[in-house]
Amino acid sequence: MAGVRLEHVYKKYAGTDLASVKDFNLDIKDKEFLVLVGPSGCGKSTTLRMIAGLEEISEGKLFIGERLVNDVAPKDRDIAMVFQSYALYPHMNVYQNMAFGLKLRKFKKAEIDKRVREAAKILDIEHLLDRKPKALSGGQRQRVALGRAIVREPQVFLMDEPLSNLDAKLRGQMRAEISKLAKRLETTVIYVTHDQIEAMTMGDRIVVMKDGIIQQAASPEELYNHPVNIFVAGFIGAPSMNFITGSLAEAGGAVRFKANNIDVLVPDGKAQQLREKGLIGKEIILGIRPEDLHEEPVFHEASPQTIVNAHVEVAENLGHEMFLYLNGLGKDSVIARVDGRSGVKEGVNVKLALDMNKVHIFDKESELNVFEV
Amino acid sequence: MSDAKWITQLQAVLDCPVREHQLPIHDWRLLSSEQARQPNERLQKPKTNAVTIGDYVSGPEGATWFALEQHADHVHVLEINRQQRLSEMEIRLIGWAVNQMLAESSKNYEGFSESERYASELGTWIDEQLDASEPKLLLPDRLISRGRLFSSMIPFLLVCEQAESGRASFGELEKLLRTFLAEDVLIIPLKEQEWLILGPASLIHDAQSGERDEEEEESLEESLASIAFGLHEMLASEWMGDCHLAISHPISPANSIIGTTALLRETVHLGRAFHIGANIHLPWLLHLERLLNTIPEAHRIKFVEQALKRTDAFLDPEILTTLETFFALDCNVSETAKKLYIHRNTLLYRLDKLKQETELDVRQFRDAVLVKIILLLYKVTKRA
Repeated sequence: MAGVRLEHVYKKYAGTDLASVKDFNLDIKDKEFLVLVGPSGCGKSTTLRMIAGLEEISEGKLFIGERLVNDVAPKDRDIAMVFQSYALYPHMNVYQNMAFGLKLRKFKKAEIDKRVREAAKILDIEHLLDRKPKALSGGQRQRVALGRAIVREPQVFLMDEPLSNLDAKLRGQMRAEISKLAKRLETTVIYVTHDQIEAMTMGDRIVVMKDGIIQQAASPEELYNHPVNIFVAGFIGAPSMNFITGSLAEAGGAVRFKANNIDVLVPDGKAQQLREKGLIGKEIILGIRPEDLHEEPVFHEASPQTIVNAHVEVAENLGHEMFLYLNGLGKDSVIARVDGRSGVKEGVNVKLALDMNKVHIFDKESELNVFEV
Repeated sequence: MSDAKWITQLQAVLDCPVREHQLPIHDWRLLSSEQARQPNERLQKPKTNAVTIGDYVSGPEGATWFALEQHADHVHVLEINRQQRLSEMEIRLIGWAVNQMLAESSKNYEGFSESERYASELGTWIDEQLDASEPKLLLPDRLISRGRLFSSMIPFLLVCEQAESGRASFGELEKLLRTFLAEDVLIIPLKEQEWLILGPASLIHDAQSGERDEEEEESLEESLASIAFGLHEMLASEWMGDCHLAISHPISPANSIIGTTALLRETVHLGRAFHIGANIHLPWLLHLERLLNTIPEAHRIKFVEQALKRTDAFLDPEILTTLETFFALDCNVSETAKKLYIHRNTLLYRLDKLKQETELDVRQFRDAVLVKIILLLYKVTKRA
């Protein structure tokens, strides 16, 4: 097993000045499960394909372990890939599909047999070894593709949206299985997804990308609780963080955030930081996650100076929780996540306390989180 | 220099038609013996039975034939068709050129294995025909006799992206494909980084066989597509990295190798132009692209500009992905929403937004066709 290191890596395509991946620096540790996430076109798949050797690196260095592999062919990089468009070899049965890579590398028959049967056992496909791909379901094919990668016992697994062709139920199941598998095999995994649930649940560390640039690389908890900018804050979390543009004002030693229909007290600790950064009197963007708007009376009693009134435009009750789509707060609609038994109805006005200890303040111009800079 | 180039050069120097031709052995011997009976007529008297490279005979209507290769029933010749008789000097020079041409083509294959030499010769011939203004569509005997080109075979065209191919990798590719496809696979190098692969048609049966439940039988094209996807996956991970691959229906190469290679080349070209990011190109899915490719660039741009009130409506990657998925799933709203992991209403909102901006409602067949065409043209014109 080995780590992977990217140093100042760029990807530029012929005939264009724009780089798809810009100055990508990352040190992926041995046995780490790293997830690359971002919107479509952000460069995450291109980065993975450069690591795989399927795309040439325009500039920079790529190391697998201590070996510089910029000019090493994919087959010689000691990696195994499972892609969204994974294709099994249709004229071979499951056993032959899994054994092919080893056969090519001149492994002894006994060793091939041992590895294939072990992988099949891990993936619970032992009973399918004689079948051709056509006779398998989508989930079974996905397992065979994983099995083909596992038997190689590579230093690094590369996975590009491997679950996106599966239905929601199977995707959830395979998500857990891949996580378990990575721990069991104790290998480095680099996993690309656009699905933040996959990213949050599977990754030891998540790299959020936008326009070919790393926005933030951190643990799921760190990303969720300490996003460095508006993009990361809005990308991680479902429903997304709410953003309200307003200004900071100080009166009588207290700092307040004021916007349309909002006038709430900023806690002392945060107020002090805002003073030090010279943001009092300036326009800023306040970010608050849906679960940090509370309709329970106990919060209202505890934080009377952070209460706002809003109109419930839509109430979506999922049973265990309810999403309230509110207007009258700032320019855009704001979403609150409240208890499913709260009994709030559509069309009513509701009182909500903002948990100001959990809010984020973003600079309006740079869009950076002023508490994280 | 290839044989075709030698012939073109000779044609230019002699200012008359020059071509390869097959002369029945009986005619050769007859003309040769007639020629031998005419004193002072010849620079070099050909022997009546054995044929040596560079020997020549003259026909009754101004044609002169120079021997390139003797076969059991015919002589493969170079025909010089000039009204004015060739001079002694010209005959000597042509004899020399013929020897040089043959020596060069055989020298090029020194150090090649038998299969590689044959494949290279075949590849050179195919390439020459594809470049020629009047290509020969049937393989010459000398190339058929050594191949298995009468049986039904699946043609693939492989175009590599990275510079690891070439002569050095022929053996490796051959070994790999023999292990993967079948022992009797034929690999023909064409241009730099381009290979024609002929695999046995039995692969289709192998891919189709296996247990099936209530599923419908796979069509020939579905089987071919799955074989191409499997082969691409294997090549990407076990050989040189990324590549483009086209596949066509099984053929008998002896009769249709030129037409099929031309089709596969066009398929790769169209696939790369109209579907960036795709690596496997299937000719039966590119009919519309083939048609659109014939429209001149200026007309394409004009059409796209006229068809859209706001040309930047399709710049939004979200709209592009949405429409591509929507069309790929036969304009099925529910399936598209599922595939894109969005709510059905979100999809409808996006489609309504597009309708507002372009006055084109892709849920209507007429507008869907138009948007599909605009999308294809837009992708090729915006890069121009």
